[in-house]
Amino acid sequence: MPLVNNKVGDNSTVGKDKALADGEALVDSLIKVVACYRHLASCVGSCTDSLQLRDELRQTREKAQKLSVAICHHLTSHLRNKSLPEEQRKEMELLWVAFSSSLELLHVDMCKVFKMGDVFSLADTGTLVQTGLQGGGSEVAARALSIPDLNQAQPPALPAGLESQEQSTLEQEISQIDHMIDDMEMKVNVLRWMVEPHGPQYADPLSSTDSASLALLSVDEERPGHQPLCQRSHIFVLLLLFAVVFVAATLSVCIFLFS
Amino acid sequence: MEKVIVAMQDPDMGMKMRNQRLLITVIPHAMTGHDIITWLIQKYSICEEEALHLGGMLVKYGYIYPLKEPRSIVLHPDETPYRFQTPYFWTSTRWPASELDYAIYLAKKNIRKQGELMEYEKERYSVLHKRINHTWDFVVMQAREQLRASKQRRKADRIVLECQEQAYWLINRPPVCSILLPLSVYTCVALCLCLQIETCRRALGRNRVKSSICLEGFVKYSEQYQNHDPIMQGCLPSNPWISDDTAHWTMNAEVVPTPTRLRVECWSFSFMELLKDVMGRKEFMTYLEKEFSGENLCFWQACEDIRHGESSKIAEKVEEVYKNFLAPGAARWVNIDSKTMDKTLEGIKRPHRFVMDDAQMHIYFLMKKDSYPRYLKSDLYKNMLAKAIVPQETKKSVFPFMRRQRHSSPSPAQAAAQATEGDGRGKGAGPAGTNSDV
Repeated sequence: MPLVNNKVGDNSTVGKDKALADGEALVDSLIKVVACYRHLASCVGSCTDSLQLRDELRQTREKAQKLSVAICHHLTSHLRNKSLPEEQRKEMELLWVAFSSSLELLHVDMCKVFKMGDVFSLADTGTLVQTGLQGGGSEVAARALSIPDLNQAQPPALPAGLESQEQSTLEQEISQIDHMIDDMEMKVNVLRWMVEPHGPQYADPLSSTDSASLALLSVDEERPGHQPLCQRSHIFVLLLLFAVVFVAATLSVCIFLFS
Repeated sequence: MEKVIVAMQDPDMGMKMRNQRLLITVIPHAMTGHDIITWLIQKYSICEEEALHLGGMLVKYGYIYPLKEPRSIVLHPDETPYRFQTPYFWTSTRWPASELDYAIYLAKKNIRKQGELMEYEKERYSVLHKRINHTWDFVVMQAREQLRASKQRRKADRIVLECQEQAYWLINRPPVCSILLPLSVYTCVALCLCLQIETCRRALGRNRVKSSICLEGFVKYSEQYQNHDPIMQGCLPSNPWISDDTAHWTMNAEVVPTPTRLRVECWSFSFMELLKDVMGRKEFMTYLEKEFSGENLCFWQACEDIRHGESSKIAEKVEEVYKNFLAPGAARWVNIDSKTMDKTLEGIKRPHRFVMDDAQMHIYFLMKKDSYPRYLKSDLYKNMLAKAIVPQETKKSVFPFMRRQRHSSPSPAQAAAQATEGDGRGKGAGPAGTNSDV
């Protein structure tokens, strides 16, 4: 490997590539955290809802917010930099679009959690909806926070009295995200119709082990192969009917002619 | 409906839960349709039909979803299993199902099933791909992350979560039945379009006048009639509503020895004005008789009578008109062109209110074009005009706030009318003055 080239290399492009890579890493982790938050949010109000779940939600939300603030600063500063080369700008805009979509999802999820938290108070567990879930979401939260295992020994930091405090904090955070979204739109003008994604329309399936286990799960769903089969059988029946009618007509004509 | 669902969760009084067995896994919190209906009947003391309807609503709006046949979103009152939907997926207008969410769901399904989506799902997937193309990378990445997150849970929970999401999307983006729907939809759409085309065609055929032209006409009309308007010009001798003096009405009665000047001037504005006024019609008749064309006006009057008269007498009136005016060799035969005559004679065989319309219109225009202008230039009219009286305005009394009142009525509106009378004739106070009459 020639050593000379590295030293002579342009520092600014290396720096910008690093910025891009940083941005990508941040956005990737935000997407992961948002997915986990959504997963946990879908359990609110169900029979697995508990102080622990609410705590996990809070921690995940805080992580998501930290990430979004960081990404916001990072991307805003780079996109407002007029000397950014064209391909870099395109990449940044892609990241920007992904970031704003994640923020949208996060915002909706936070609003829903807030509302559900109001409706389903943990004090009265008799009203929680029995949805058939049995386990908790600790592993999901651990994945979101990128730690191997949530420390179970740590007691949930929310005694019942502080539930309302969490609700008001949540309200504030929702409005903060709102402001961030508005700010973003004001400061940086990204033309969404000019942004072109990289990936294919149909995502590649996950690795074979994943898909094999997932395929076992779909017990109750109709096979989609049914549909084209039905259409073909319909056409076949129609043709058969026509053929029968035609034969009957010719027979009657023959009878008429020969009688 | 949410309250009903919450009531069902009550550990003592709520729904009886069973277990759902799938191959090897057992998932709790399932209930049969029959259970649901029994519970509803018991809790709300309603009849079975109503419980079925209410339960059907719960299923239709996604609060309960079926487990065996997810696409059949109805409540079967038998052993079909159902389960509650998690509150996150409850129907809400504040956070409607967005395209982004649907795209993520379809991407997830696509990954899971390795490309085997239903036809309508494939279509929608490509439509969404076009529509929110800019964020497609995000969609795919988010779908992957959501799948990875769900892998952290145990198998039974994964099944439940999948069923929940599937039920949510079956309700918010219902599948399209591709074979039967086009037929019925196309016929309906075709019908609506045909009706619209018909309406547009009729609208095109209507007479249209440029607004500049019709506004000119309107301005001319207003100018012409301004002097005759009691509110704009005031009426002579005085407004009866204000002064309680009925001289104005007596002077303008239907039949008077001498009409007012304004009235006679009005006859010259249009032919219809002349005919509308009883005195005018009489004068015109006198004139026509002098010209030996009085039968035209008589015919016109008879036709008006048919048009506005009693239904029962229509047949005999038409007979008379025919005898007097239309039959060959009639006493007062009117001159109508042959085409209209034929049409009218045809119509007389089945007489109805408007059978004489064409003939009447013909005679009307004849009179209007021919006799009417000559009448306006004739001596008869000019004498009438000269003879016409211009009534004197009632003298204002000495006291500025009092008019000659015959009957004073104690009404509050009168006080307002008196205050404004100081400026002169009843220009703006006419409407206020109407309240004062008892």
